[in-house]
Amino acid sequence: MLNEISRLFFAGIDIGSTMSKAVIVDASGVVRAYVVGPTGAEHRRRANKVMEDVMLKAGITLDEVAYIISTGYGRVSVPFADKQVTELTCHARGVSTLFPDVRTAIDIGGQDAKVLKIKNGRLTDFLTNEKCAAGTGRFLEVAADTLGLDLNEMGRISLQTETPVKINSLCTIFAQQEIISRLSEGQPLPDILAGVYIAVTTRVVKLARQLKVEPPVVFTGGVAKNVGMVKAMEIVLSMPVLVPEEPLITGALGAAILARDQAFQLVQDGLLQIKKKELTEAHIDFTEKNR
Amino acid sequence: MSGYFLGIDIGAAGSKAVILDSEKILALAVMPSGTNYSTTSAAVKAEVLKQAGLKESGITASAATGIGGRNAGTDSYHGVILCDARGVNLLFPAARTIIDIGGQGSQVITMDEAGRVINFNVSEICATGSARLLQVLARILQIDINDIGPLSLKATSPSNFSTSCTVFLETEVITRISQGDRPEDILAGIHRSIADKISGMLSSGAIQKDVVIIGGGALDTGLVKAIEDKLGIQARVPENPRITAALGAAVIASQR
Repeated sequence: MLNEISRLFFAGIDIGSTMSKAVIVDASGVVRAYVVGPTGAEHRRRANKVMEDVMLKAGITLDEVAYIISTGYGRVSVPFADKQVTELTCHARGVSTLFPDVRTAIDIGGQDAKVLKIKNGRLTDFLTNEKCAAGTGRFLEVAADTLGLDLNEMGRISLQTETPVKINSLCTIFAQQEIISRLSEGQPLPDILAGVYIAVTTRVVKLARQLKVEPPVVFTGGVAKNVGMVKAMEIVLSMPVLVPEEPLITGALGAAILARDQAFQLVQDGLLQIKKKELTEAHIDFTEKNR
Repeated sequence: MSGYFLGIDIGAAGSKAVILDSEKILALAVMPSGTNYSTTSAAVKAEVLKQAGLKESGITASAATGIGGRNAGTDSYHGVILCDARGVNLLFPAARTIIDIGGQGSQVITMDEAGRVINFNVSEICATGSARLLQVLARILQIDINDIGPLSLKATSPSNFSTSCTVFLETEVITRISQGDRPEDILAGIHRSIADKISGMLSSGAIQKDVVIIGGGALDTGLVKAIEDKLGIQARVPENPRITAALGAAVIASQR
């Protein structure tokens, strides 16, 4: 069995509020493939899609996948997963796989933010915000909409200034109004954008400071892909931050690594039964809720 | 003290002015604050003077309050908490607790029989817990903001919401609509969210009565009822709930 499993693969699937991610690792924990796609309204179909895509990219079939762990906000909607694990656990594992010395991980997603304290690869404390759009990717989406800009373009433009304007409103709704008044006052666009990034960052750092920010700091989540946010994070924290090459997949990576560990543990205990898995094209309709 | 006393409140959403004539409201004016507080201050002052049939020289003393009140050019400026307390005290001497649902947030104030502030709690600047959420709702549901209250009182099974953030609520309201929730149930559900938020701002222990609800949010009868239900009290609402801070400023001007 141990021989057999060494030739197999392990998958982590993270169904987030905005984006879905899948990672495949081999028996040594090396990433063989990953994919990222929008979640959309139909979680289950999305889970199938990312799984199919990531297997295609890795050049493997479902029979070669020994164990699958799902995580994230939509983790219950992955019918073919062997186990569900919370995103905090997966995230801590993913970040410390990439950066073994990490002490503080800040993750800003589409609709939430998390701060994790990690020591020797173990999660020691955490705080999350999912109650308020300020301090999440949603704030940036609202700002982008208001200004009619693309999110990535926004980041690049913001780097043109060293004098961000102050956005006083923490609330997204009022900040939107404030962005418009700053524009009408004739403030330069890069200054406004840099101010927006500082505002989001300040909100999240306020959360992080409750747990004490210790270096090294790793910044992840979809929002960490934005160069303007990374710069703002370093300014507000007054320390350098590390950003993974693909900051969106740390949760899925952690899930894949945990899937590998779990499978090896089960083999050792003589308990692993590799189930024949099937990616049923789940048909979701809105009446399902009422059944 | 006799004379005409002017109180001006330049708030985040609305600007209000009151002229007081020996403890009676002689005239009042309300208008949107806009983006230039100095212009708005002048406009709301001109309007209230016109209503009262007075000239500026006829004003004995004046005071201002609110986020933009320092631009009003009055004899003095006072904090909005103090002005709320004095204004409510004049209207309802038995009032001991004030719940103010304003344009940018809410505040709760406890006070004594003379309108002296004992304690207060001001919310973060947050659209939920402010009258702003009601505007957002009116837009999504395509109804007039003044119809929110009466419509919500027809609710039979208020919708449940998993979030209290206005931005996230926008999405959730649309989901509820697609699931067939009726507008009145959605509104009543939102009123409950706001009432929960406000209840959390009141210090634990017995609520000191009478409770008076003021601010733009007090114009929403459904919201007032949701707060009453949540707190298990009967609240009083002034005829013009938006002008209490301006009224309080006028009271303070008359006492200086």
